[in-house]
Amino acid sequence: MRQRTVLLLSICLCAARLSVHAQEFKLFDRAVQVHGWLSQGFAYSNDNNYLTMNTSSGSGAFTDAGVNMSTPITDHLRIGVQGYVRNIGQLGGGHPELDWAYGDYRFNGWFGIRAGKIKTALGLYGDTQDAEFLHTWAILPQSTYPLDLRTATLAHTGVDVYGHISLRRGGELNYTGYYGIRSFDKHGGIYYFSADQGIPIDKDSGHVEGGDVRWTTPLRDLMVGVSGLNLTEDREGHWADCLKCAFSIPGAAYKLAPDPDYVISVYGDYQRGPWHLNGEFRREYSPLTITSPAFPGAYIFRGETSKSWFLSAAYRVSKRLEIGTYHARFLVEYPDVPSDPYANHIYDQTVTARFDINHWWNVKVEGHFIDGYGDVYSAHGFYTRSNLDGLKPKTNMVVFRSGVNF
Amino acid sequence: MKSPTALLVVAAVMMFGPVHALAGNVRIIANRSVRAEAISASEIKSIFLEERNSLHDGTHVEAVLSKGGPAHEAFLRDYLGKNDDALQNYYRALVFTGKGSMPKALHSDAEVMAYVAKTRGAIGYVCPTVPVDGVKTLVVYRAENEGARELLSRVEPVYPGILQSNHIGGTVRLKLTIASNGTVEDVELLGGSPILGEAAIDAVKKWVYAARRSRTVTEVSIPFDPGP
Repeated sequence: MRQRTVLLLSICLCAARLSVHAQEFKLFDRAVQVHGWLSQGFAYSNDNNYLTMNTSSGSGAFTDAGVNMSTPITDHLRIGVQGYVRNIGQLGGGHPELDWAYGDYRFNGWFGIRAGKIKTALGLYGDTQDAEFLHTWAILPQSTYPLDLRTATLAHTGVDVYGHISLRRGGELNYTGYYGIRSFDKHGGIYYFSADQGIPIDKDSGHVEGGDVRWTTPLRDLMVGVSGLNLTEDREGHWADCLKCAFSIPGAAYKLAPDPDYVISVYGDYQRGPWHLNGEFRREYSPLTITSPAFPGAYIFRGETSKSWFLSAAYRVSKRLEIGTYHARFLVEYPDVPSDPYANHIYDQTVTARFDINHWWNVKVEGHFIDGYGDVYSAHGFYTRSNLDGLKPKTNMVVFRSGVNF
Repeated sequence: MKSPTALLVVAAVMMFGPVHALAGNVRIIANRSVRAEAISASEIKSIFLEERNSLHDGTHVEAVLSKGGPAHEAFLRDYLGKNDDALQNYYRALVFTGKGSMPKALHSDAEVMAYVAKTRGAIGYVCPTVPVDGVKTLVVYRAENEGARELLSRVEPVYPGILQSNHIGGTVRLKLTIASNGTVEDVELLGGSPILGEAAIDAVKKWVYAARRSRTVTEVSIPFDPGP
């Protein structure tokens, strides 16, 4: 059923390819725009399977697509909706989901309000990470934008305030503040990892609040910004067979206390002529307090701090070809030092070539050279269910990805 | 013209030069429903980057682009600081996050002109050589200079011969009302000899200042020195 949904969407978008301008029609005398995209990838790795794909044998389970509609209702108000579906290994599972849907009322240039399900403004790519055609890379730096763990910070259902402030000779500021209920994904990395560790999740909720400020500086072509976010994980589940737990009774319920996670990102972006340079540094603190009615008064606490960053450079060789590279690092600061030296980091050196066949169709070829497999207490691209023989220290992977958009 | 005055005019023209260069490469046009006569370069950028959809006077506006051509290239370079690929990527990011829409893009200056003429609030750009038809042209100014209005062109007053030969001089104080397009639309004598004042008024009415969003008022003092 899910595969048929993906296939049907693929056919519709391929048909739309024949007329690859945004579709626009009139509804109650209002212009409604329709846009969409479809991407298909293939990944092959030498040893470890990555992102729940069977990459060591070559995997084409790397498909995603989206379609949106939007229209202005009045001079100040516009509404829109976007649906999204992905099948990346076991991520997404081909289940269509509501990506965003909201009303946007702009009072003036410096103040507006959005309400609904809204993409969260976090870092350089937080709200655009699923739209591969917007980026040089086939896969964004997973240190900071993990495909498997993105859901909690991808979108929220709530309210945004936003605006644009001119600083005249000082450049320009764009700000966003938000509060809402965070999203969760039953077909995402957190659920899979928890199940693999013997603590499957039955229920997950929480709220998120934060803000983003980006400054277009007086130095031409340079933008810098900072994002901060708090989110709570109000999670319940039951123990199955938890190998790493201090105590457990299979079948007993557990609960995560909604201690807030903190995320802060600092980033910069510079585009001049054919060059595009950018980078981001992110720090995240995740406290974890687990309690159980089976053990009144007892709790497990673990506070984990992780750091991630990347630096990237891309060069537009011609109208059809762009090449680039990035170096990304993810590091975990454990309260206790793990015995496995590859279990506290993931380093990824990537090289990419992007071919723009025309303005709506691109093809990317990308090589990843990955050292380490990250976090013992949380998956970060490497899953037990996909690597039953254990994880190897290094992963080399080639990715082909092609996408169309209209 | 005395040397310091010449230097002042040259400096003003040099400072204003880049905005004249902007105006020379493209003509900014608007539907007649747009009330403003002048618009700042930063406002243009904000509108076409969908950071705002109304002018300073509250008029709702809609950006209209060309799909290519010399006016389009000049507009991107001079007003937006992006090439076409970067601009299209920027719009796509807005569209696919729901934070904006793809603006209207047309194939020729004629199509842009026709669309702007018939669409309430539309703002576009065309080659400056294209005849204006059914639209208004907006004067572009650089908002960063607000606070000190630049004098672009100054005409010296003609010293009344009878007063100069009799070594009668003095300073005339005038209040100038300057229109948004930079012309002096009203002059009031605040102080000084009425005869010298008349000569000064005749001269300042020919002065031209830099364009500004709205009418401004300023005071000037003009000395009449009969010499030794």
